[in-house]
Amino acid sequence: MKTRRVIPLVMLLVLALVVANARGRNASELEPSRHLASPSAAFPLGCGEGGIDLLAALAVGVGKAILLAGAVSIVAMVLGTTLGAFAAQRRGWLERLVERASELTQAFPTIVLALVVVSSVKAPTRFHLAVVFSLTAWAGFARLALAETRVLREAAFIEASRALGRGDFALLLRHLLPQLMPVAGVQWGATAAGVVISEASLGFLGFIAPGEASLGELLGQGVVTMLRAPHILFVAAFGVLLTSSCLLLAGMAVAGESRSRAP
Amino acid sequence: MSSASPHSRALQTTLRALVEQLAVFLVLASAIFFALRLLPGDPATLILGDRAGEAERKVLRARLHFDEPLRVQYVHFLRNLSSLDFGESLRRPGMKVTRTLLTALGSTSLLACLSVFFAAIVGIISAVLSNGSWLGKNKRWVERSRLLVSAVPLLVLAPVVTYLVTCKMRLLPLPGDPDAGATGLLFAAGLLALPLSAQVGRVTHVALASQARLPFLLAVRARGGSEIRMWGMHALAPVLGPVVTVISTQLGALLGGALVLEKLFDRRGLGMLIVESYSSRDFPLLEAALIGAGALFIATQAMGRMAHLAIDPRVRGS
Repeated sequence: MKTRRVIPLVMLLVLALVVANARGRNASELEPSRHLASPSAAFPLGCGEGGIDLLAALAVGVGKAILLAGAVSIVAMVLGTTLGAFAAQRRGWLERLVERASELTQAFPTIVLALVVVSSVKAPTRFHLAVVFSLTAWAGFARLALAETRVLREAAFIEASRALGRGDFALLLRHLLPQLMPVAGVQWGATAAGVVISEASLGFLGFIAPGEASLGELLGQGVVTMLRAPHILFVAAFGVLLTSSCLLLAGMAVAGESRSRAP
Repeated sequence: MSSASPHSRALQTTLRALVEQLAVFLVLASAIFFALRLLPGDPATLILGDRAGEAERKVLRARLHFDEPLRVQYVHFLRNLSSLDFGESLRRPGMKVTRTLLTALGSTSLLACLSVFFAAIVGIISAVLSNGSWLGKNKRWVERSRLLVSAVPLLVLAPVVTYLVTCKMRLLPLPGDPDAGATGLLFAAGLLALPLSAQVGRVTHVALASQARLPFLLAVRARGGSEIRMWGMHALAPVLGPVVTVISTQLGALLGGALVLEKLFDRRGLGMLIVESYSSRDFPLLEAALIGAGALFIATQAMGRMAHLAIDPRVRGS
């Protein structure tokens, strides 16, 4: 374990939650006199449209993004990895089916699928977003688990364990899934970073309820007021980049181990 | 069919691929049809808002055929789909949805095609540069810049670069400027091409490096061929297959990026059509635009596969 790699993510999340708690009210509080104000002592990152506090908005946006991305990719990791490993273990039609399905799902652009689902509900909430992103995120895990299990299932220790009388399920839990952890961990980070980007893209396109602070909404504001108040654009872009990089790095925490333990 | 000539076999494969694409398209369009009707929430309320009266809603339901059984609606939908007639816009009566959709599709495809073209050229050049010996020790900067570009998401890169180029340096017209014309399009395509070009560059670099030790390249060099001839012509030809593959796997992401860039540059493409029809609750237009986005994606995937078959004779055999 390279626990160090999780530290930036944890720090970012804690910082975001603390700041959001302390000044969260300012994120949606309108004060026309502060409209697009530049950074000052009271508002370190300046103010956005209608005088919202950018630091508070950033903290709220980052916190929400990390929670959404983390939850979605954990669900996708558990479902996808188990499904892939189980299918490869069973072989036959199930393996082919899971492979085709995950290939198709992965090739399809997430954002188009998200647009279909989000546009068919009246007021999309974060729960809808989580469902949409989970619908596509499992595929990457399933494909990796399929590929890895195909190699692992021929390994001597699996055969030995089977000869000792362990069933399919016990084998999966005891031997296959632990071996898959490093690869799944890296994929977790990449998936979570992808969810942050997708959520921000949807917000940027204006598909998340306006008025609710999110990174994408902030980015949209920044682009509109690019000429008058460029600081909004930089705050939002920095927020997206920081969040996605911290998640990517955290995913690599379990990866360091794989080389030394590989059979 | 072993006696069939290669031409008729190629025709057969093409036909089969075409039927397969059509089937996928049908599944996708049906999924959109059912998603828009079956997901919780009454579409009529969605369009008119909560305050509309029951009579008003009834009129709208009749107009959009929501009052018919789902089976009948689906048959209608399939008939309209086969003749590519999506009816008229709700908000702007008399505006044919199909024509609006085709204009938007054209604009988005133009942007995507241009950026694939840019990405392929820039990626291949960067791979040739990082394999050849022209740059000497500076070669690793090519690799580092590729890594940097692929580490920064387009959503962050595009607005910041646009700000720097158009507002700070005033090199190019502002996004949304009606006089921007071709310059704006080229700039947007260039931005969209950046992440893809880094991907193409990385894959091509590895593929070229694996060719480097093969005897036929040594033979080229022994015959006195220059380095540019060796990398640019002889080594490049067999790696074009992987280049096409990497581009076609990234096309979905490219399409997503195109939707974002359209919003950024105020281009009237598919992305803006979806956003606008969503926010104005223009149901027929929204349905058609979503189906159009799916169709564009399926078509680009098919084209990628065809291009691979056309370029690389080694994959044609099986």
